[in-house]
Amino acid sequence: MLLEAKEVSRAFGSFLAVDGASLEIEEGEIVGLIGPNGAGKSTFFNCIAGDLAPTAGRILFAGHDVTERSAEAHARLGIGRTFQVPATFTDMTVLENVMVGAFLRHPERAAARARALEILKRTGLSGVAFQRARGLGTPGRKRLEIARVLATGPRLMLLDEALAGLTPAELQGAIALVRAIHEEGVTLVVVEHIMEVILGLARRVIVFNEGRIIAEGPPQRVVGEPAVIEAYLGRAHLGRRKA
Amino acid sequence: MRWRPFALAAALLVYPLLFRGAFYQDMGALVLIQATSASAWNIVGGYAGQVSVGHAVFFGAGAYLPVLFYELWQLPLFVGVPAGIAVSLAFAFIIGLPTFRLRGHYFSMATIAVAELVRLIVSNSGFLGGAIGLMGPARPRGWWDLVFRSAVPYYYIFLAVLGLVLLATWQMERSRFGYYLRAIRADERAAKSLGVPVSRYKLYAFMLSAAFTAAAGSLYIIKTGFIDPESGFGILVSVQMIIIAALGGAGTLLGPLLGAILLVPLQTATNTWFGGGATGLTYIFYGGIIMLIARFEPGGLIELWRLRIAPLLLRRRGDAHAP
Repeated sequence: MLLEAKEVSRAFGSFLAVDGASLEIEEGEIVGLIGPNGAGKSTFFNCIAGDLAPTAGRILFAGHDVTERSAEAHARLGIGRTFQVPATFTDMTVLENVMVGAFLRHPERAAARARALEILKRTGLSGVAFQRARGLGTPGRKRLEIARVLATGPRLMLLDEALAGLTPAELQGAIALVRAIHEEGVTLVVVEHIMEVILGLARRVIVFNEGRIIAEGPPQRVVGEPAVIEAYLGRAHLGRRKA
Repeated sequence: MRWRPFALAAALLVYPLLFRGAFYQDMGALVLIQATSASAWNIVGGYAGQVSVGHAVFFGAGAYLPVLFYELWQLPLFVGVPAGIAVSLAFAFIIGLPTFRLRGHYFSMATIAVAELVRLIVSNSGFLGGAIGLMGPARPRGWWDLVFRSAVPYYYIFLAVLGLVLLATWQMERSRFGYYLRAIRADERAAKSLGVPVSRYKLYAFMLSAAFTAAAGSLYIIKTGFIDPESGFGILVSVQMIIIAALGGAGTLLGPLLGAILLVPLQTATNTWFGGGATGLTYIFYGGIIMLIARFEPGGLIELWRLRIAPLLLRRRGDAHAP
């Protein structure tokens, strides 16, 4: 077991954003995390990434209890994440951005640089290596975020809508990149709104609604489940479908 | 591009030989002190983006400790320099731990509060000379008192210290430390997610910056031989470091030096023109500079050059070569 969440809850004041969510992720999986807006998937995601401490429950990663550990400790252990709104270091060049990630496992500058260049090549960013990140468009920034995380040498990568906002053509490229990363042995958790992405990538999806996990299983089966349709489209729609 | 730092170094080396008037040599020494303190501030304020407005604490400690050692035990001023640096390091650690829990403006305000508190305590401490301040040896007892009639020996001592600070900053810029600081400035949350120990690195930067700022304060006392709470711990001392660094380019290696080269002579000139009758003018002047930088080029003059002027010149040159 690579990642295990046990009865994780997170409250903001009196509002319970995540309510006793449990899941297990095996090494080598790609798991999709879906759910309507405000379902709690981002909060849950931030708990796994170490950005938010759960108010109840435990999270184990590769045997370590990481529930109370800091975000940087998560990175050191091998959990990498991207941000919904790309958080690139805008004044730094694309190469320097990736070097910041690479420094985690390669403290020497020359080694970090070599590692970063290698990753830029793999992620198709070599052409803009010496441009400032500020100058990149959304697809470039999302790609850079993935490259930066990849440079930290993660075992588990958490992608927070890393593919949202891309054109269909860009999307195909991005999906290919995520697949390639997976083939190298990185386990992936993908939060995504676009069904096409989830269906194309994940073997297993977990559906959130109102802070709880309401369905889990292969994507084709899960999207047909009444609870999921209801969560996404409302009860009225469910009625129409049945009729 | 590579030749520019060397040209700058050469110009600084020959400056006192070319400008032989005492006025110019004094001003040159002052430029170097200000460049040193602004470069020191730049480590935490520029590279790491943590705008401390309380760096006067370190400058003051660096200036007071040597003269306090003289007052108590008649030791030469330079003996107290390491003590000033040590005290500043300790201060930075004590101040940094709680204040770095605050972000942005709140951090800046906390540092102002600490500096003002220290200034008030010093102003009311008899053994530190109270509001009047402390004086070093009036007459040199030997070379070790470092009292020179001409500003030139000071100038070269200061240049050596500035060189050390810039060399250290350059090394930092090229190492993991420097990359991490710039990442922290850009986006703390993202930096953390990439494994950057944000709190620890901020504290390191603050302590390194404090040590160099204290060194600048020590240079000041060695040259002037006199310090009072206002010129050691006053808020203008902190503000000046920020303005000089921001004008030249905060977060760049040579920005603070450039800022000092431009601003210090301008200040000296305005002081001479308007005399003592317009002491408040300095504040208006500073305010104006802050507004201009914030409005037009937050990256300072170096960034203005890199992003706007240099590309323009290149294009011109390209046009000239075109058939």
